[in-house]
Amino acid sequence: MFQLDLKSRTSIYEQVVDNIKELILAGVLSAEEKLPSVRELSKTLTVNPNTIQKAYRELEYQGFIYTVAGLGTFVSKAVDKEVDVRRVGEVTEELRRGIRELGFLGLTQEQISMLLKDLLEERGDLR
Amino acid sequence: MIKVQNVDKIFDGFQALHNLDLNVKKGSIYGLVGTNGAGKTTLIKHVTGILRQDSGSISIEDAPVYENLKIKQRIGYIPDDLYFFASYNLKESARFYKSIYPGWNPERYAHMVKQFELNEKRKLSRFSKGMQKQAAFILTMSSMPDYLILDEPIDGLDPIIRKLVWKYVVEDVAEREMTVLVSSHNLREMEGICDSIGILNKGKMMIERDLDELKSDIHKIQVAFREPMQDPYAGLNVLHRESRGTVDLLIVRNRKELVEKVISESSPVVFDLLPLSLEEIFIYELGGGDSEIEGIIF
Repeated sequence: MFQLDLKSRTSIYEQVVDNIKELILAGVLSAEEKLPSVRELSKTLTVNPNTIQKAYRELEYQGFIYTVAGLGTFVSKAVDKEVDVRRVGEVTEELRRGIRELGFLGLTQEQISMLLKDLLEERGDLR
Repeated sequence: MIKVQNVDKIFDGFQALHNLDLNVKKGSIYGLVGTNGAGKTTLIKHVTGILRQDSGSISIEDAPVYENLKIKQRIGYIPDDLYFFASYNLKESARFYKSIYPGWNPERYAHMVKQFELNEKRKLSRFSKGMQKQAAFILTMSSMPDYLILDEPIDGLDPIIRKLVWKYVVEDVAEREMTVLVSSHNLREMEGICDSIGILNKGKMMIERDLDELKSDIHKIQVAFREPMQDPYAGLNVLHRESRGTVDLLIVRNRKELVEKVISESSPVVFDLLPLSLEEIFIYELGGGDSEIEGIIF
């Protein structure tokens, strides 16, 4: 499903969370699709099952997936997601940093604002 | 669950273990790391009931391990210095294991022998060091242990076999909730496989924690300011600091959020925050004060 980078400084747990999130956001995993079980994924990736379990718990907490006892883990519908205030703060900080960098590169406020608008339009699927 | 409490062990006036605690949860893969001579092998020999502690208690599922046949039947142990009966081959050793371990699984044994491509009829003493390790691994895993205790298991194994070994370990943890205690110096590999880490130093347990928690608590940061700042790191627990021109390199033991908050208040022009690898944590925790070691790292 995806590859882990053992040389990366990012922990395996975070890599699993990020990878699955990306697959969901990119639409590779669609809503209501069943995810591999903790056991299956741990075996395919040769990763400690406890790490996968923890990653699934975090993804569930962030609203990307949900578990039905006895049936397995599934991808949530986009509307089901609750807004995670903490994560919104982090992403806002990333945006702020990006905008500052664009400023350093010599773009005017208007140019940056145009760029952001273009990027928003590029993603026409937002609610 | 493996529980070691307040254990002391003295060999001829040398204190090998010092008031030591260790807790391995059921179904967990626990990595035991430490410098040479820290007491890893001694500790493992206590947990497997080979040595008896001077004081303190060692129990598995609340029963003392020493001389406890019932528990020992459920432990698989691969020591660093392997031992096989002279003139035995793998097949004969398997027969011996079968008579000792009630959980012996002949199907798995047959499957593993094929997969590892070992000759059952050749004397084990004629095997290479790596092949002997593989043989020990096959025998131990075929006894279907509930507790797997490995002392430097991947030492001397090639990358393909190493991957196979970990696959078996992970599979048994996932399928049967096997509990694993493993010691190694290969920290990168430990980082990929363990969920808990114990760092041993001079017979004492220095740190025992969930690996991800351990990693989220210590960071390496690079910072540069436009102008020299008055004490920009106030409020941070700085373990190590050095300057390279205008860029400061620091190791801090704080939560990521706090580090980001404190540093961004002084509006730096450069600010990178990196998690530390287990190898770096090991070096800072065990060799942090030693300037010679620091000289090598940076």
